[in-house]
Formats: sequence, C-alpha cells, structure tokens
Amino acid sequence: MANSTLGYIIIDGSDALIRGAALITDAKGFPVDFVRTEPLRPDQLSRILYGESFGKYAKEKLVLESLLDAVETDPQLWICNDPDILAPLRVNSRIKSVLLEESPHVPLDAAGHIETTADPGVFLIQANTNGAPFRAEFPAGIRPEEVQQTAAILTESAETMNILEPFARVEKALNFLASGVR
Amino acid sequence: MGLRDFLARHISRHVDAYRIDDFSIERPETVSMIKRVETVSIKPEISCTVSRPYDVAEITEKLKARAVNVKLSGRKVTANSYRIKRYVKEDVKTHRMKLARKPAVQRMLKQAQAVPVELPNILRSMKKRPDSVKGEAVLACYGPIVEGGVLKLALNKQRGTLLVWYKPGSRKLNVKHVYLIRRLGLGGKLEYRWE
Repeated sequence: MANSTLGYIIIDGSDALIRGAALITDAKGFPVDFVRTEPLRPDQLSRILYGESFGKYAKEKLVLESLLDAVETDPQLWICNDPDILAPLRVNSRIKSVLLEESPHVPLDAAGHIETTADPGVFLIQANTNGAPFRAEFPAGIRPEEVQQTAAILTESAETMNILEPFARVEKALNFLASGVR
Repeated sequence: MGLRDFLARHISRHVDAYRIDDFSIERPETVSMIKRVETVSIKPEISCTVSRPYDVAEITEKLKARAVNVKLSGRKVTANSYRIKRYVKEDVKTHRMKLARKPAVQRMLKQAQAVPVELPNILRSMKKRPDSVKGEAVLACYGPIVEGGVLKLALNKQRGTLLVWYKPGSRKLNVKHVYLIRRLGLGGKLEYRWE
C-alpha cells in the first residue's frame, strides 16, 4: 500500500506582489507540513536593477529558497506547476522534481505506463487507472531511471489520492490566509 | 652640301668649318623656376574648459598637462593634451541600498489541515462503471478516498464536488470510492455508498 509523501510548491503573483507556499502531504493527501511566505513586495529600486529578470530571480532566489529552507519534512517527490522553478527546485532540494499538468491525451494502456513526447524532457505518465495521463516535464538532462522512479511514485500515490488536487487546496489556503480571517 | 664639299670630305677627309657670327635667332626668354610657397601657421591655440559641477560637494578635479609631439606635414607641431583626474574626498559618504530580501516564512500546518480535500466527480472517466442496482441511480463517483481516515464528508452541490476532511494521524489506508446514489421512488433520497 502507498506510503509516499508528495511535496507541492506554488509560487505566484506579479512583480508587485509575490507569494509562495509548500505543502507536504501523506499518502491520503492530508497535510503533514505547510509553510508559506509573507507576501513579497519588491521595491522600485530592485525592479530597476534586476530589470526583466526580477520575477524569475524573486521566485527562485527569494521565495523558493526560503520555502525549501523552512520545510521540515522532505517529500519523496516535489511537484510544481511553474516551469521557472522546476530546475532550481531539483537543484536546491536534491529531491526528484516534476512539473505536472493534466493532458488532453487519451488514456494510455495501463497505470504506470510512460510515453515520450516530441518535447525533450516531457513525458506522458498514466498514474491513474481512470482518466487522461499526466503531462510530466522534467529538468533538462533527466536520467531515464529518474523518470521511471517518478512514474512509480505517482502511480503509487494515485491509488490513494488525487494527485493534482493539492494545488487547488494550497491556493485556497493562501487566499484564506491573505483575507486575514483566522 | 655641294659636290666640292662632298669630294673633299670623302677623298681628302677635309671638312671646312665656318664660324657663324650672325645670330639672327632671338634668345628665348627665361623664367626662374624658384617658387616661393606661402605658409600659414597651423599651430592652434588650445583652450581647455573644465566644468566644476561638484564644488559644492567638495569634489575636486586635478588637471595634468602633457605635451605630445605630433609630426604633421613634415614639421613638428606641439599639441597639448590634458588628463583630467577626479577624485572624491574621504568625507563624502556612500550609502548601501537594501534590495529585495528573502521574505519571512510562516508554518501554518493547522490552518492547512482545516482545508478539506475537494474531489471532482470521476464517473464519466471511469473505465468500469459500477454495477447497477435496481431502484438506484448512480449520480457521481468520488475517489480515491481512504475510508478509515475520514472525519467528515460534504457535498458541494454547486460545483458537484465532494469535500473530505481527514483525521490527523490516521494511518489506515483502506482505499475506496464513494458513489453518490439517488434512491428512486418516494422522496428520491441521496445516499453515499462506499465501494
């Protein structure tokens, strides 16, 4: 039976306000660790000095590193939904990381099945027995074994939880906390 | 040349020479080829104007003159160049500006645990539909759900989703799906069925 822990990272916002959160769930999808950053409001000087790269810098160096430093429970797999943080997430956490999205493809043969795509580093992974496969994007230079291991973790977790659901929950939690109602 | 001259030249090798004193040809006019070239001095008067915009801030400029010999049109022309050196006195203060710093991080596990898991209806995408039972209509299917860990279930009728609250610390992993069923007949009551 599944005993995996998945980690979810969300960093969103505009140049004017950036916020982030990390949620670690058990096999049920129940939170075992949750950290969030205070909203980051960059000053005008920083935006001028860093220019167009400020958003990427802020996500990677300010918010992502803060979240990874604060998390107390290391997940087996980090899942994100932002290509800007995929590679730094893998490098900084030293834990397998994947960018996961729903795909419009027809279901693959069986759960655990992996299919390559025309895009390098992007695979279709059939984690659930029902529904479409996930579009799974890996950092550049990913080893085939790591893709296999990631697919195994996702397939195992999909037996006990809805894999993408925690993203919506983190958004809800962030909005709830931002509203000031406790 | 006449016959007498011809015979004298070839037989006796005698050639008469005549003195001509009659210069009837006029002497040609001669003109001196010496040219005088007028020259103009190209040595310019170089002036250097230095603005002193930082006098108020006690910033001074140093001027250092340096002579450079430049060969121009076969003659040496001396040009003057000025190296300007500016320095800031020690008592001028500099400020270190603070750029965006890492934001503070808050651990809010209890708040996150209070947010329910929201599951969509997966009935349409199921490969194997549940067996139909007479007198029942299956409206929706939600899962996977760990039955032993569930604290509370609630149906979000507006979104057609199922909200699941789990108990903290529960380690039971009996995974099931929940079917939303309407009993046909009087009242048409909605029920959950675990499978």
